[in-house]
Amino acid sequence: MAKWGMVIDLEKCTGCQACSTACAMENNRLPGEAWQDVVFYTEGEYPSVQLKWFPRPCMHCENPSCVDVCPVRATYKTEDGMVLVDWDRCIGCRYCMIACPYGVRFYSDEKPLVEPDIKKVFKGDRKYSWSPPWKMPQSKEDWKHGVGIQPDGVVSKCTFCYQRISKAPEGTPDLEPNDPALREFTPACVVACPPTARYFGDLDNPQSHVSELIAQKRGVRLLDHLGNKPQVYYLTGEAGAVPSTRGGREA
Amino acid sequence: MTTPSQSTLPMHGLPLNVNGVMKISAAVLALSLILTFYGLLTQGHGAFNTHSYGITWGLPAAAYVYLVLTSTGLTFVASLAMLFRFNEFYPVVKRCIWLAIATLVAGFATLALEIGHPFRMLWALPSGLQYLSPMFWMGVFYTVYLLFLLWKFARIHAGDWTSLQSYAVGLASFVSVVVAHATLGMVFGMMAMRPVWYDGMLPIYFLVTAGLSGIAFAILFTYLAYGFNREKMPEALRGLLSGSAFSGVFAAMIGITLLMVILRTITGLWSNLDGLQVYSHIVRSPLFHAELWLGLVLPFVLMLSPTLRRKPSIQITSSVLVIVSMFIGRYEFMISGQMMPLFKGSWIQGVIEYTPSLTEWMLTLVGISLVFVLYTVGERLLKLAEHPDAK
Repeated sequence: MAKWGMVIDLEKCTGCQACSTACAMENNRLPGEAWQDVVFYTEGEYPSVQLKWFPRPCMHCENPSCVDVCPVRATYKTEDGMVLVDWDRCIGCRYCMIACPYGVRFYSDEKPLVEPDIKKVFKGDRKYSWSPPWKMPQSKEDWKHGVGIQPDGVVSKCTFCYQRISKAPEGTPDLEPNDPALREFTPACVVACPPTARYFGDLDNPQSHVSELIAQKRGVRLLDHLGNKPQVYYLTGEAGAVPSTRGGREA
Repeated sequence: MTTPSQSTLPMHGLPLNVNGVMKISAAVLALSLILTFYGLLTQGHGAFNTHSYGITWGLPAAAYVYLVLTSTGLTFVASLAMLFRFNEFYPVVKRCIWLAIATLVAGFATLALEIGHPFRMLWALPSGLQYLSPMFWMGVFYTVYLLFLLWKFARIHAGDWTSLQSYAVGLASFVSVVVAHATLGMVFGMMAMRPVWYDGMLPIYFLVTAGLSGIAFAILFTYLAYGFNREKMPEALRGLLSGSAFSGVFAAMIGITLLMVILRTITGLWSNLDGLQVYSHIVRSPLFHAELWLGLVLPFVLMLSPTLRRKPSIQITSSVLVIVSMFIGRYEFMISGQMMPLFKGSWIQGVIEYTPSLTEWMLTLVGISLVFVLYTVGERLLKLAEHPDAK
């Protein structure tokens, strides 16, 4: 069984947010509810200010604290390494959002981040929290794995596009978007990335491209000291950096 | 089996104050329920100011913690007589156990309206059996605790104060609440990604502050039962409140809490650990100073004075100040653990701002007014002043 993971090359990432857009389209996300986000921030003070950006999907941790805290086992880890939410079990206590060190979880029932409230413009019936004008085929909906348009009162998160990668041929070391045979099984954010800064493959396979990249380019993980062991690695090179603090004491 | 003392309330009936409080609290409960449901039915939890990008657990969650820990403390007060044989505390035992039930039920009610699918919890919790989750154990032990409390209350209401079974149920409720409050402490204390909360000794902090809340509630509601007039109280109760035992324990608990609050704050201000910057924000808040100086230092000084601490007005004032201070403390604790963004680049650059919405305030008021309604119903129907003749 593969252990799927992602490598993001920060030297190549341009912060264009094509990944966020592709994710939102693929997974019917609300505006602002970015399962795959690119966060922007500044470092330094005038006149030496730097604008930085940082792409941040769910880390699908090896030791996911969100899974351990969920009192009803709605959040769980699959055998092939993904952390998912069962929308039929979730009670909306949001303890997983408290326990996630990466802020990658979203509650479906809260104030809209941007106006107008798109949930009121495209109202859902009692089953769904909203009814987007474009939506994934009904056949792909899978609430047990947190895929589809979510109901109210549950928590959602990046699934590594479970509806795609769960169909990948067994034994595939890497899901390459450039390979026509594998493209439809590759996560949407990886497919859409214009500078090809994203790689997706089997972390347990030493022959996979992602494993080679991590080894050869010294891949690092976000907030690694917390021990959650993300399955998303960043290649920082000479120009990139992973945020290591919350903003300094001046905050 | 010991015979309950007779005529523990004035012969002409209940003091007007209890009836008055019942009417007012029922009106407040009805109004706050209407406004809460209006918010929830029209906007869902969008009526709250909590957000995935901001504060996840807000004022209602703080109110839940406050209420269930107060229940814990009230059980501790009842246990002073029931388990540890400090017999002078018997006159407040039945009222404390009923109040423990009331605060626990009110806490559960607040939480039920705060989460997304409360009824789903009824089957998902037992079928999931996620033993790694402190919240799972919190649910289990607080439910067990509630059952033991009800059982215990039924025993003493039937006049069985001292039988082996009554003692055993009292012991079971005490043990279950110690474990329940500890798991509630671990819900926060295990969160290594949130340094303000991360503390293996947090359950001890909760234990102490729960005890203090319980004592303050016991004092206030005992006075309330007699129209804030100590002269109307039966002799044993009057003796308890005018003696040094109750006020002495109250003073000691305020002192220990004061020490813990000060030490936690100094540690937070001193440490360079990323995430504890929030303490410099907390100490600039007027709420913190109200909690510290008005809610803890002032009652502590008042309770240290051998003459002042026996006066009803001072005891009532101190208990109210402590009750409000403990509420501020719970709110502050809840919010401060979430105020710092998780890492730089989480969109919000500084401290996350949060002001509870009207619906959140109304839900909190539902919990608080429900305590008063349940208490006054108990005072009216369940003879809460009963106690065995202290030997």
